[in-house]
Amino acid sequence: MSRHTHTRTCAARPTGFALGPRAAAVLLLALFSPLLSRAQQQRPSEYEVKAVYLFNFSRFVSWPAGPAADSSRPFSICVLGKDPFGAALDSTLAGESIGGRKVVARRLAQPEQALDCRVLFISASEEARLKDILAALDKSSVLTVSDLPHFNELGGMIQFVLQGDRVRFAVNLDSASEARLTLSSNLLKVAVAVKGNPPRGE
Amino acid sequence: MKQLTTEPVACHWLAVRGEELMSIAYFAHPPHPPCPLCCRPFRGPGMVWDHRRPARSLCAAAIGFLSLCAASRPAWAVVSGDTPGASVKEQQLKGLSLEQLGNVEVTSVSKAPEQVWKTPAAIFVITQEDIRRSGATNIPEVLRMAPGVEVSQVDADHWSIAIRGFAGQFSKSLLVLIDGRSVYTQLYSGVYWQLQNVLLEDVDRIEIIRGPGGTIWGSNAVNGVINIITKTAGNTQGALVTAGGGNSVQGTGAAQFGGAIGKNGSYRVYSLGFVRGPQDHSDGGHFDDWRLGQLGFRTDWKFGSRDTFTFQGDTYRGEIGERTFIATFIPPAEPILEDSAGVSGGNLLARWNHQVSDGNGFQFQAYFDRTNLQDVELGETRDTFDLDFIQHLRIHGHHQLTWGLGARFSPSLFIQSSPGVNFTPASQTDTIYSGFVQYELPLVRDKLALTAGTKLEHNNFSGFEYQPTARLLWTPSAHQSFWAAVTRAVRTPSRVDQDLTFDIFVTNQPPPVYFVIQGNRRFQSEKLLGYELGYRTTITRNLYLDVTGFYNVYHQLQNYAAPSAVVGTSPITYVAFLLPYANGIQGHSIGAEVAPDWKINSWWQLRGSYSFLHLSLRDAPGLTDVGNLLSSYLGSSPRHMASFQSLLNLPGHVELDFSYRFVSALPAQAVSAYQTADLRCGWRFGERIEFSVVGQNLFQPSHPEFAGDPGPLVALKRGAYAKLVWRH
Repeated sequence: MSRHTHTRTCAARPTGFALGPRAAAVLLLALFSPLLSRAQQQRPSEYEVKAVYLFNFSRFVSWPAGPAADSSRPFSICVLGKDPFGAALDSTLAGESIGGRKVVARRLAQPEQALDCRVLFISASEEARLKDILAALDKSSVLTVSDLPHFNELGGMIQFVLQGDRVRFAVNLDSASEARLTLSSNLLKVAVAVKGNPPRGE
Repeated sequence: MKQLTTEPVACHWLAVRGEELMSIAYFAHPPHPPCPLCCRPFRGPGMVWDHRRPARSLCAAAIGFLSLCAASRPAWAVVSGDTPGASVKEQQLKGLSLEQLGNVEVTSVSKAPEQVWKTPAAIFVITQEDIRRSGATNIPEVLRMAPGVEVSQVDADHWSIAIRGFAGQFSKSLLVLIDGRSVYTQLYSGVYWQLQNVLLEDVDRIEIIRGPGGTIWGSNAVNGVINIITKTAGNTQGALVTAGGGNSVQGTGAAQFGGAIGKNGSYRVYSLGFVRGPQDHSDGGHFDDWRLGQLGFRTDWKFGSRDTFTFQGDTYRGEIGERTFIATFIPPAEPILEDSAGVSGGNLLARWNHQVSDGNGFQFQAYFDRTNLQDVELGETRDTFDLDFIQHLRIHGHHQLTWGLGARFSPSLFIQSSPGVNFTPASQTDTIYSGFVQYELPLVRDKLALTAGTKLEHNNFSGFEYQPTARLLWTPSAHQSFWAAVTRAVRTPSRVDQDLTFDIFVTNQPPPVYFVIQGNRRFQSEKLLGYELGYRTTITRNLYLDVTGFYNVYHQLQNYAAPSAVVGTSPITYVAFLLPYANGIQGHSIGAEVAPDWKINSWWQLRGSYSFLHLSLRDAPGLTDVGNLLSSYLGSSPRHMASFQSLLNLPGHVELDFSYRFVSALPAQAVSAYQTADLRCGWRFGERIEFSVVGQNLFQPSHPEFAGDPGPLVALKRGAYAKLVWRH
């Protein structure tokens, strides 16, 4: 057991050569330089895909009449809290329109500002006050989306879930129904999980 | 009317939702903010480099490697004309249906950093993607990428793995868990790394806490905790087959299948096996070949929205090549024997998790583990039965109370296989009863939080132990967090410390002389009082920096008490110097770890780490170490360690990954400073097939990392292997 007592056997022996730092730097450069200029983006980032999802969800949801339905105002996709999208959301929405309305991205600090948003992404930074946020949006017909764990359980509508390297989503139909949103069956078909029952008559 | 059904894939989602950083869950329930994991090129400190010889063979190897990569991908030229911009890519993404969008593979930043951000401890998380791209073939190799973890390979099948000092093949101050199952053995308070094999493709992440984690995890988490967490069965659906081989890893393969059980459950079954060849032996001995086969399963169920249930198990059998001294009396000598240790074992674990809401819930876990080991030196059969209960309670909205109870029974039977190694009594049941309580108190909401708690434990070796901690977390902005901690931790005695007799033959001058290392029933716990400071910041959106400093005060570390000479008459007349273990070394260590992470863009990531350690230990007043444990402590952990990794995604689904490591000299192991590197080139053919070629330890034909075997130091060979992974 106590092999550490056997140091008398640990005869030193010359080690193999080692590589100097300059040689290492040259090697690294040699390795990467011909490739760097040609390298291109392989995969989109998680939030680039989520930005496209946010936009696409709009096509599968119908909203009731309300303040946000005013066709003279832009169609707002909002982010509450620390924005994880960077430029991805703006560039996804650039030049897009839905039902003749220009689609814009807005960043919000308070849930009260979200009442005229069509889609609201609640950032992970808001985890501590998630319940308050959802309460503030109660019956406001805003499609709530987040990647926070337990989001749908706490009353959110669409929760992003990562399955390996793929971004998918789960739907809480009860929350959507309470907000008088109608989600297309095509959206539900793709969801990895659906909580609640579809409204009658669909 | 259309009937909606919850598809079988629902279990994926349920499983994902149930996930939580296990190690962190106890330290903090982080309310926010995400920090993009990233980094910056590593610049080493003023280390002493070895310039003696040029890098011819490395260059040849690397360039050969590279040309292999390039030759197989004539697509370089084709894509070079593209000027991909975000808008082009987003236009492509926008053209996809929802279903197609769900199948786009993304470069995801692990969930870990968000939680890491708010953890008042030195934590590092290795993700599945990190493992895949490291080219590592087993857990010890994976751990090389973590800052501050001293991974040294003794020979093909033995390692010394330590954190913040006290390295050794039987490193005692590290707690290792696999899916919540503690894998340290109460035989010597260490880990049989050879027996801890997991299918690396199934690992979700490895959380590594440097520094004392005793409050939650209990004794032995003195210098660190390594928490290996596998994916839920829902996340390993379908078939997986891997096959590979090379010079050191001669053959490795695995097969796995995962499916659904009804609406709420999922399962996977797997088998893995490998054959590894010996490392480089200057005396021509090739004793350290290693082969092992393992079968296992995991099932996960979700009942309602609150309850998840996990049942899993593994069984293995293998042979581990070894070389050992065996002291004999007739004739008085200490021959070196080479042998293949037979190992076998298995485990079963059940876990019920009830989550009422965020911060409210409980978990109940029970497991059984059996480990059998038999070689020419000794044998042991050990069963472990363990029960754990943990409850989280959210109080006054933002206060968090966590408490738990645990019990462990571990009956063991020592099997004597050489006359010079014995344990008395041969059969013993080791027990641990423990409880802990921890309270997280927000002092300024979202800015300043205090976490305090203690573990209380009773074990059969040292009786009652307490291990309190207090931790402060300050997050002045979304881009910075500071933490500080004071923790007391103990390394409880093991059977080696208390029950061992181990004969070492010294000389045959008549009469023959022996040393006899003796366990000491009065050997107490080794004690640590640790002070830690940490700082994390996102310098830019893509550049993340983690800095930790620590000052540890040690008391009652193990040494040998003054020897006494006795004359033995059976079976021959001899003189023995008895060396009982004692708690006679004290002192302190000081150190720092820096880990930058720079995600330059979506196709290139650089990471680095540097760690510094200075140990200052001495004999306690009145107790002089007559053995060599003091110098072994001082000279077995590197003062400087540095590493650098580059992960590069190239066109045509090619990945080129490079990792470099530098370790300063280990005088007590007669190992001089070395630096070496691994290179991996991976190709993805569609969704299903991945092929990779990996070169390991490329900078020199071979280099030694740690002593431990009788005879000349075993050197680690330059290695190469190819691996194919198929998924369906």
